[in-house]
Amino acid sequence: MKLKTVFLVTLLSIAINSVAQEIPTGDLLVRNATVLTITNGTLENTDVLIQDGIITALGEQLSASQEIPVIDATGMYVMPGIIDAHSHIGISNVNESSAPVTAQVSVGDVLNPYSIAIYRALAGGVTSSHVMHGSANVIGGRNETIKHRWGLLDPDELRMAGAPRTIKFALGENPTRVHGRGNNKRPASRMGVEYVLRETFAKAQRYQEAWAQYEENAKTNPRAIPPAYNSQLEVMADILNGDILIHCHSYRADEILMLLGVLEDFGVDQITLQHVNEGFKIAPELAEFGASASVFADWWGYKFEVYYSTAYNAAILTRNGVLTSINSDSGELNRHLYHEAAKSQKYGDLSDDEALALITINPAIQLGIGDRIGSIEVGKEGDLAIFDRHPLSVYAINQKTVVDGIVYFDIEADTDDMRLIVDPESTVDTVVLHSHDDTHQCLYEGSLDLYDFLESN
Amino acid sequence: MRVNYSTFAVAVCCVLLINLPIKAQVNSGESVPDVTRTIALTNAHVIQSPGQIQERSNVIIRDGLIIAVGPDAVIPFDAIEIPADSLTVYAGFIDGLSHTGIPQPKQQPEQERPDDPANPPNELAGVLPHRDVRGLLDPKDKRIASMRESGFTAAHVVPRGRMLPGLGAIILLGGDTPNEMVYRGETALYAQLSGARRMYPGTDMAVIAKLRQLYRESERRHRVEQLYNENPTGLERPRYDPVHYAMFPVLEGNRPIFFQTDGVLDLHRVLSVQKELGFPAVLTGLSQSFDAIDKLKSANLPLLLTLELPKELQKDKTEPPTDSTRATPTDAPIALPEVMHLDYDPDLRVTSFTDIAIEKENLETRRHMAYKTHVSNAATLEAEGLSFGFSTGGASPSDLLTNVRKMVGEGLSETAALAALTTTPAEILGLTSSMGTVEVGKMGNLVVTKGSIFDEDGEIRYVFVDGRKYDVEPPKKSSGTGGGAGANPAGTWSLTISSPDGEIAGTLTINGSDDDWSGTLIVEIAPEASPLEYIALTDNVLTFSFNAGGFGTINSSLTLDADSMNGSFDVPNVGPVSVSGTRTSGPEKSTQFYD
Repeated sequence: MKLKTVFLVTLLSIAINSVAQEIPTGDLLVRNATVLTITNGTLENTDVLIQDGIITALGEQLSASQEIPVIDATGMYVMPGIIDAHSHIGISNVNESSAPVTAQVSVGDVLNPYSIAIYRALAGGVTSSHVMHGSANVIGGRNETIKHRWGLLDPDELRMAGAPRTIKFALGENPTRVHGRGNNKRPASRMGVEYVLRETFAKAQRYQEAWAQYEENAKTNPRAIPPAYNSQLEVMADILNGDILIHCHSYRADEILMLLGVLEDFGVDQITLQHVNEGFKIAPELAEFGASASVFADWWGYKFEVYYSTAYNAAILTRNGVLTSINSDSGELNRHLYHEAAKSQKYGDLSDDEALALITINPAIQLGIGDRIGSIEVGKEGDLAIFDRHPLSVYAINQKTVVDGIVYFDIEADTDDMRLIVDPESTVDTVVLHSHDDTHQCLYEGSLDLYDFLESN
Repeated sequence: MRVNYSTFAVAVCCVLLINLPIKAQVNSGESVPDVTRTIALTNAHVIQSPGQIQERSNVIIRDGLIIAVGPDAVIPFDAIEIPADSLTVYAGFIDGLSHTGIPQPKQQPEQERPDDPANPPNELAGVLPHRDVRGLLDPKDKRIASMRESGFTAAHVVPRGRMLPGLGAIILLGGDTPNEMVYRGETALYAQLSGARRMYPGTDMAVIAKLRQLYRESERRHRVEQLYNENPTGLERPRYDPVHYAMFPVLEGNRPIFFQTDGVLDLHRVLSVQKELGFPAVLTGLSQSFDAIDKLKSANLPLLLTLELPKELQKDKTEPPTDSTRATPTDAPIALPEVMHLDYDPDLRVTSFTDIAIEKENLETRRHMAYKTHVSNAATLEAEGLSFGFSTGGASPSDLLTNVRKMVGEGLSETAALAALTTTPAEILGLTSSMGTVEVGKMGNLVVTKGSIFDEDGEIRYVFVDGRKYDVEPPKKSSGTGGGAGANPAGTWSLTISSPDGEIAGTLTINGSDDDWSGTLIVEIAPEASPLEYIALTDNVLTFSFNAGGFGTINSSLTLDADSMNGSFDVPNVGPVSVSGTRTSGPEKSTQFYD
């Protein structure tokens, strides 16, 4: 009654039949397509076979069981499902802006599978999103890597199980404004941001030492007293252990170099810089550190620290050997990330594969899931976007989006009312021109009066 | 001397007479002692427990207890006899969870800002697992009487607040002092995903993180406390703190957390954290639980379903047309969902702006279906074999029976409905040996009705709480004999809105007649007039909704009585805010002047 199109109804029955936590997967044969593998070039007249959600064969005229559903993709382009490395869709909270360090919170605890933004992302060929905590805090909450399994109603079924944990950091104007200007607390300046980082990492080291000592004592003393439990420092310790990947909101070259210095001192070597609009100034330094970058194609000037930027950023970073992705940070921009990737060809002459890598394999590697998605290879997960033209063409329109071998978006079945839930008290003629998900949300939803300066964000 | 003796005897009697009532006062709280505490309801239709019916039976109550039930039960000589030939006797209803008896603070104290919003004091952050609701009870809270008039005789009440508002208690809905009302204390810890304002934990995700931290650290302290109690020698003294220590009974499995869930997302989040931490839990609220049936089944936790339902819009009362006059949009066949006999077209794709009317109609039908799905939530739970009790939290007392009847109208069996009002909450709250059924030895908590409680026309006549009789006035049927059938809301009304931030004045203007109303609302804090939508008058209840900007859509329900109105605005995320008004001009007012 809630779901309409045939495939969604089928999908739901799969979900109901399956035991909780068992994510439905599908079989699918895509016939005779131009396959943009990203990692192994472009294959003409090629079939892609997906079984139980995994790509099992690539080649011409594949034979498969009669029962496997077939999509005739003659004249169409098949690319890996697009991966958005920075998004805030499908979650109920974005910022816990009450404290400059909130490593203990996680947006993974507030996933919202009913959010229509997930379906809209699918319409743009996006199959996975890295949904992030906002940028109000120096050390924000943990993020969640989700797959766009529209129609599954248990939030746990959105999670990409096994994806590494990641956490949001933020430098510069946002945390200093929220905590410094807003609450008269540290950090009030970029120096304060560094202080907060160093202080928190140092506390995490003390915490690790205290627990190590306790565990040592407990071997001989059954009455040893464990140190106080601290969920925030547990997470910080896991960062030090290399178990949690940092994704840091950052703009200016100087503060980025500061961050790299801090990480070096604490032995942390995995970092993806988000936005990183001045990355082009320090591309060799980023490459040397092994830091990767996730940028906007051509968007800046929305606040003072983002005035100095260039549309060549993605190309310059790529050419300097920095693993780079292009993200949306928006429930609107994520619907045309393939256009955003194409801009790197106008500004920087990246090849087709290099441009498409910015929205597929590169973000996958940055999220620690490059071995599972981001390219069309045998053994990888069956996440595809099927376009009527080459996805880097401005005329391209996504036709079908496949996740785990299941068609979750089909332009033929895209009816007017795709909602999964309806407010029984709503009035139909409420027109929302700007929805929550459309806006860049880094600074939304805190416990501060953020709205007055959101305009300038 | 004889005279003197008799004078003495009279004096002694006087002293006794004066003393006795004082003594009785201590017991019953009444200024005049009860002549007898024995009551006999005779010849009644008795629903002893859901599905268990005794015809033509007497129910005898003495000293607060049911001492006999049955056709042959002897009526004691000292009993007040209540002929109940045409009446039905039910066990008194038990409210699984609410704030009954804990009045909403009239004026919210000026929001105190903590020195450090990252680490606020527990009082400000709403982390008060040690706060006992018994210290907050107010016998004068109006909700007690109005709940009782809806048949509720006992309630599980919890403090108001944020994340961990405190410890609950079972109270009887009668009595003049807090102590008289309390049946049992420290029943449960109440929790909700409700963040603090402008301090940690501010968001749902932070509330969940805070709960994890509190729980895990309480586990550690609990262990340290055990080690110390075994033998303190050589160990540093563990420091007492009320917050972590209040969690100990929860860790030991002796104190359940009654966790409120508003909507299905809350439900998933609470179930996840419950599974992770493993505390004993009872789920309350459960609106939209129809979307998480499998998960509820595998969680296998006790359930308390709210009696709050979405506001019934005027459009929900009349079935949308199912006729052929409705324009068929594209060439797509209209698929009728099996559940609803409505012509919602899930495949509708309008191709031009000229078809927007069709799309709007389709969306309106979908909204109506959503309304029906919410009302049939209870029936869905029953059909899926999930047993539940009712809680009244969030619902207005005047809606309680109406909403039960609506649920029965959408397929909930009367047996399950009665169980949800009596035996199931008794089981969940550990009250089965004293409440929930009309059986010998149980407390004298009864509801006596004319007609079935589940019928539109069923009326509550008496409610007994702890053997004490309360008469219930039959509800006024649209003010009198036929002629009064038209309470007229038309005119201009001066409103007083009792918001948590203080009283706000407003002006309500209603125009029109019969079922064609229009109107506007102006409140002093917003200069722009808000147009009213979905204005409806049912009997003497005026309902409408309006858009209040940042507050969202507010649904209103106001009961008219000549030139005054009383009711509430249901403000999203705030709850019902009481509203009263008087008519300053209008047809009825002017008529009165001429009369």
